[in-house]
Amino acid sequence: MRYFLRKLGFFVGTLWAVVTLNFLIPRIQPGDPAELMVRRLQGKDSQLDAAQVRAMRSMLGTPDGSLWSQYWDYLGDLLHGNFGVSYTYYPFKVSEVIGQAIWWTVGLVVVTQIISFAIGMVLGAYAAWRRNTKLDATITIGSTFVGTLQPFWIALVLVYVFGYSLGWFPTSGGYSASTPGWNAAFIEEVISYSTLPALTLLIVTPIGWILGMRNTMIMNLGEDYIRLAKAKGLSDRTVALRYAARNALLPSVTGFALALGGVLGGTILVETVFDYPGLGRLMGEAVQNKDYPLLQTLMLLTTTGVLVANLIADLLYGVLDPRARRAEG
Amino acid sequence: MRISRRTSQTTSLLVGGLALSLVATGCAGSAKDQEDQAADGMIAQLTFPAEVDATVGGLGNYNPYSPTPLTAVWLYEPLIVRNNLTCEETPWLATDATWDGGDKLTLDIREGVKWSDGEDFTADDVAFTLNLQKEFPGMDKSGLWNDTFGAPAKSVTADGNQVVIEFEGNAAAKYDGIISTKILPEHVYADVDDPTTYVDKEPVGTGPFEVESYNGRRLTLARRDDYWQADKIKVEKIVQEGIFDSSQAALKLETGEIDAYYGDIPNPQRTVVDKDPDNTGFFYAPAGTTVLTGNLTEEPWSDPKFREAISYGMDKESMSEKGIYGIMEPASQTGLKLPAMEDLLPEEYAGADTVLPYDPDKAAEMLDAAGYEEGADGKRTMPDGSPLSVDFSVQAGFIDYEAIAEVVADDLNDLGVDTKVTASAPESVDEQKKTGDFNAVLEYLHGGCELARNLGSKLNSKQFPTEQDIFPNVGRYSDPATDDAIAQLSGATSREEQKPYLGELVDVMMTEYPVTSLIYAPSRTIYRTDHAEGWPTEDNPYASGADDRLLVMTHLVPPS
Repeated sequence: MRYFLRKLGFFVGTLWAVVTLNFLIPRIQPGDPAELMVRRLQGKDSQLDAAQVRAMRSMLGTPDGSLWSQYWDYLGDLLHGNFGVSYTYYPFKVSEVIGQAIWWTVGLVVVTQIISFAIGMVLGAYAAWRRNTKLDATITIGSTFVGTLQPFWIALVLVYVFGYSLGWFPTSGGYSASTPGWNAAFIEEVISYSTLPALTLLIVTPIGWILGMRNTMIMNLGEDYIRLAKAKGLSDRTVALRYAARNALLPSVTGFALALGGVLGGTILVETVFDYPGLGRLMGEAVQNKDYPLLQTLMLLTTTGVLVANLIADLLYGVLDPRARRAEG
Repeated sequence: MRISRRTSQTTSLLVGGLALSLVATGCAGSAKDQEDQAADGMIAQLTFPAEVDATVGGLGNYNPYSPTPLTAVWLYEPLIVRNNLTCEETPWLATDATWDGGDKLTLDIREGVKWSDGEDFTADDVAFTLNLQKEFPGMDKSGLWNDTFGAPAKSVTADGNQVVIEFEGNAAAKYDGIISTKILPEHVYADVDDPTTYVDKEPVGTGPFEVESYNGRRLTLARRDDYWQADKIKVEKIVQEGIFDSSQAALKLETGEIDAYYGDIPNPQRTVVDKDPDNTGFFYAPAGTTVLTGNLTEEPWSDPKFREAISYGMDKESMSEKGIYGIMEPASQTGLKLPAMEDLLPEEYAGADTVLPYDPDKAAEMLDAAGYEEGADGKRTMPDGSPLSVDFSVQAGFIDYEAIAEVVADDLNDLGVDTKVTASAPESVDEQKKTGDFNAVLEYLHGGCELARNLGSKLNSKQFPTEQDIFPNVGRYSDPATDDAIAQLSGATSREEQKPYLGELVDVMMTEYPVTSLIYAPSRTIYRTDHAEGWPTEDNPYASGADDRLLVMTHLVPPS
């Protein structure tokens, strides 16, 4: 019980720190949202038109009161689930904007993460079992190589090859002519439009899993219980899967939870290249436009996601592995 | 030791199957939409990228006073379209605008215009829109009701088919802003609580197109048969969809998926035009000038002799080559866009070459003469012997600026002026402009037609940046006589009246070098001609493409 309480307390404390940093960081950076908005409409290096900046400031409103009172207002608004109005998507509310975009990212990222995780675990375990063979070398060197490539660059190559040279997949957007809803035309478009972004993520994300799994697995293979299992005469398959792989999976569970929580970060560039209407692109826009309300909410969403995932993983870990409970309890 | 055969098979099956199913599902649905056949002399459809860089799902808004309406061009119209390149005016919803002194502007409103819902458009709509900006300052993009660039308005009244705007004082410099005001239908917007937050879902405009459909991504606009100059609109349908970075846009132009792109594609000649010279083209109209601005309150920039000398010591051709693939010409030191604004030049400069040539020997001589002598180490010093150095702040990520700054630094170092370039985030450079804590920057001199507001405010001592705002006089040039000339220029209502004062400003630019003009900065249009012809070109620069899209639309015809 103490283990669980401790984890919960840690969670609440971190959440408060995150919320506070979230409030502070955008405010101590240079740049004025109204100026950036006008500049975005006029071009990046334009001479700012004073009348337009003035109109934009009056439209967006400028925060008043001391930083301290703004902070209290901010905390109060958060508790009431009031995230404010986005500057980029003015006059729409942040919650409306995110509500539209979130499903695209959740759909794309959760699916690709799960697949990547599965691929990573299987290939990693396989490479570890057959370590120092040609196959292991291929997998390890191959993923190290692919891992050095920028997802952004991979996305561009895919766009060029599959989008333009072969013309197999659309390269931009989440859908095109169909009407969103539960109809065949829309679903078909969603699948074909998300193929290239998904492929990009599927090339990039398994790398970490493969290498991580291989290393933990190799470590586990040196343990005494493996030697014992082999001595008992258990089949190779049982030893590999039920003994070694199962234990090696444990650390990856935490990693997987973290990865699911932190889906946003990795997708900003990929979603931007493919003009995919999800949270990643939204995040990119929010940063570019100094859209504090939107940016803060997205950061909050991400960090809370990571924290919750972390908490769940910690709690699960406690259940899965009694050693964790005893060690800390 | 081997893992069992079956497992390995399952693995490869799993991976292979995944890949297969991905490929299979993806194949469908990528066929390009069939285009409708157009009637004779008409263009069935033109496809453009989305106008706003921010759209998610069903959050559509056509309110032209929101920062990012789905389209700001085709639905609501301005009073007069002033071509940004040549400053020629084309009457639009107003047939004429006349100043009576600098404090009264009378607009003659066009008759026979209908809103897209069938109601008549009248002078009342114009007066309503302008008056609404008083109540909601967030709509007042032209500064009509406040004191930016001229006196605030006192009243706006409709009288028959005229609208009269009276000001508290001289407001001639607000003209450009006023004529480009998008006019709203009174019968719709009168019932709106707050037009700055109003979500306009069913737009009623006077423009050439109306919304046919929007599905959260693809905006389809249909031509209006009852548009007031329908005979000039040959395009039946506009589709706007997607936001593309430069590489995506280049590919889409190549395949004909879009008909025009207004963003930056590096080297459009090679990436687009050379691949399909018969069907593509581009027009980079000069929209303004990239200038080098020194901090005139600091050494060495406080010395006009220094500014003059280095103005001859920088290779502008090379900046154009490296910054923008040689497309934009070196800029005239007058601060005017030449030759488009040739007739505004004062007589003494007419016909003269006002683009300063690259002449490092001359620059070196001038520096020697001004006392910046070269030391034994090849580095020049200040006339009093103290070290001379220039520190450039450049916006990281502005590729053209970074390339230009590099040329500047190389050339100045060759001259013996110790120069270094510091790249930092654009926001930090903005911050430096505000505080004045910089030595030299590259910036933009807007080439718009309201010269008092553009060239004028670069030289106006009342336009120093403040902690809050980057007002245009970033270098902090200050001269009472120039201020007077700007005040006179800004109060003048006709080109003839403006000319002598403009002449004084041009003189300041040519003799004082408050900023050094480097190369023109473009307004870009990269287009295809297989669906529509008549885009503005260097030979026929009737509009500066991207900023004058409504005007361009009236010139587009099917390919011959």
